[in-house]
Amino acid sequence: MDKQFELVGIVNAPDDGEKGRKTAVKKRPVVSAVILALIVLICLFCNLVMTKDPTYMDLYNCNVFPNGEFLFGTDMLGRDIFSMIWYGGRISLFIGFFSTLISTFLAIVIGSVSGLASPAVDTVIMRATDIFLSIPSLLIIILIQAILGTANALSISFVIGITSWTSIAKVVRTEVLRIRNSEYVIAARCMGSGLFHIILKHLIPNFISSIMFMVIMNIRSAIVTESTLSFMGMGLPVEIISWGSMLSLAERALMTSSWWMIVIPGLFLVATLLCITNIGNYIRKENNKSHSNL
Amino acid sequence: MRKNRAAYYGKKLLIFLISIFVLSIAVFYISRIAPGDPLVSYYGERAEKMTPEEKDLAREKLGLNDAIYVQYIKWLKEAFKGNFGISFKYKQDVLSVISGRITNTLILGGIGFILLFALALLLGIFCAWHEDRLPDRIVCQIGTATSCIPEFWLALVLILVFAMMLRILPSSGAYTIGGGGIADRIEHLILPVTVLIINHLWYYAYMIRNRLLEEVRENYVLLAKTKGLSKGKILFTHCLRNILPSFLSLMAISVPHIMGGTYVIETVFSYPGIGTLAYESARYHDYNLLMVLCIFTGIVVIFFNILAQIINERIDPRMKAEEALESGGDTVSG
Repeated sequence: MDKQFELVGIVNAPDDGEKGRKTAVKKRPVVSAVILALIVLICLFCNLVMTKDPTYMDLYNCNVFPNGEFLFGTDMLGRDIFSMIWYGGRISLFIGFFSTLISTFLAIVIGSVSGLASPAVDTVIMRATDIFLSIPSLLIIILIQAILGTANALSISFVIGITSWTSIAKVVRTEVLRIRNSEYVIAARCMGSGLFHIILKHLIPNFISSIMFMVIMNIRSAIVTESTLSFMGMGLPVEIISWGSMLSLAERALMTSSWWMIVIPGLFLVATLLCITNIGNYIRKENNKSHSNL
Repeated sequence: MRKNRAAYYGKKLLIFLISIFVLSIAVFYISRIAPGDPLVSYYGERAEKMTPEEKDLAREKLGLNDAIYVQYIKWLKEAFKGNFGISFKYKQDVLSVISGRITNTLILGGIGFILLFALALLLGIFCAWHEDRLPDRIVCQIGTATSCIPEFWLALVLILVFAMMLRILPSSGAYTIGGGGIADRIEHLILPVTVLIINHLWYYAYMIRNRLLEEVRENYVLLAKTKGLSKGKILFTHCLRNILPSFLSLMAISVPHIMGGTYVIETVFSYPGIGTLAYESARYHDYNLLMVLCIFTGIVVIFFNILAQIINERIDPRMKAEEALESGGDTVSG
């Protein structure tokens, strides 16, 4: 074809882009969902699959290479890694979900209050949020954890939860500012409904789709934070098994090149995080479809 | 207009100062409430053998007996004179402890930062060029996967493979004790920098990719195409120029993230930077050191956040246009 007479507008028509985008959207993350569901289910019913007591320290079988008896080998303390994976996964996933629950609750309350309140209150809350956001979260987490004393699953979820609400709160506030003056909210206010009624019945249904992606990503980062903290020796102690605390013995495992102690728990961690990310990305694309003008 | 600008920067400066002030109070209080005995970090083993009277005297000497706000005011007064106290653990002036370490962190973070953004830009352009075709999809998949790997685990695996099994790279430290020149330093940097880049690369490359894809849907691209410009020419001379503000603000926002990243990486590689120092001082309740490190980190983070805001609000020409409209409206109404 003669290049000189190429019809440029048609080649680049927005329809083309739309089509490509839609097919990309339609691909549901089936594989990720199935793998994640499997991991969650097996962790929940770990009693059925565990071949050993995950907390039992078999001192005759420390540092054993994966074999028929110990499917994934044993760690430095002689615990069976196969059983620990499922047993510890429960704690890791629990921390992920529970701390996200806390942070989402805080974010919705703070964001909604800030969005509904007078501009002065709004400014103060937002500035405070900015300052809070500017402190490196790992440092705050370490400090608060130090005050709370020895960590357990609940305290660590609490600490992660109260330090990770800021970005969601900002989105909530923006959305609330957008819908606070709609007729139905004004009508509800005229009928004398309280703050929580408005938040629950009118605001949440409207902004839930725009924060869903961030909420899911929060689960992911909570799991990462827990494992990083436990690995550094500032999260869960070695006795409380989680994917992070299993890796806290990694320094010693390095000395003996016992790769299975490092690689196996990490692979489960990464697989879970990847599944969560894929599902999150799918939800983001789904939600963007309607109101993005791209 | 000029007055406007002064007010704008003044406001940003005020926010900056208030943030740091609040931050310093928060860190001061939290670190004082935290359990753990700073005497142990100062005197080590000897602290356990001291009598209660001796302990009291030692606390008095270190100024730990006053109410917390009195301690804070004292600290603030000294800080303005440039005296941040001595590190309990190292028995040295805090600033001299930090200055010994900070170059290491700057080298690690700086090299990582430059390589990271060079690679992110290239990868972003590559993906935008092949939008939704096979190369783009492959890179996207791999990228998503790498962004899911926690950095400490990646560091562990790399140490395991390259330092323990293949024995070609050192596993820890910034240089070999006793010897080593620049080559030795570089050898020690390879693994930490790799972890830093792999961990952050996709996040930024993906942002650049999406920003470019937004840009190529603009009408001026059609115009350029009708003029007969090649795809490469449009992308590199027009689109790239237009995403420059986003790119700069992305770079500014990334500084805190990369800093947090280097802290974790330093700890895994026992790299003698301020990250390991922060970790140690939090563990051993070395208050003075912790204060300065937190505030230093905070200053960097807040500074770059505000810088990103300024870039977004000031450099983006669309913002300027809006502002012109607004001020034009003002003169009309006034």
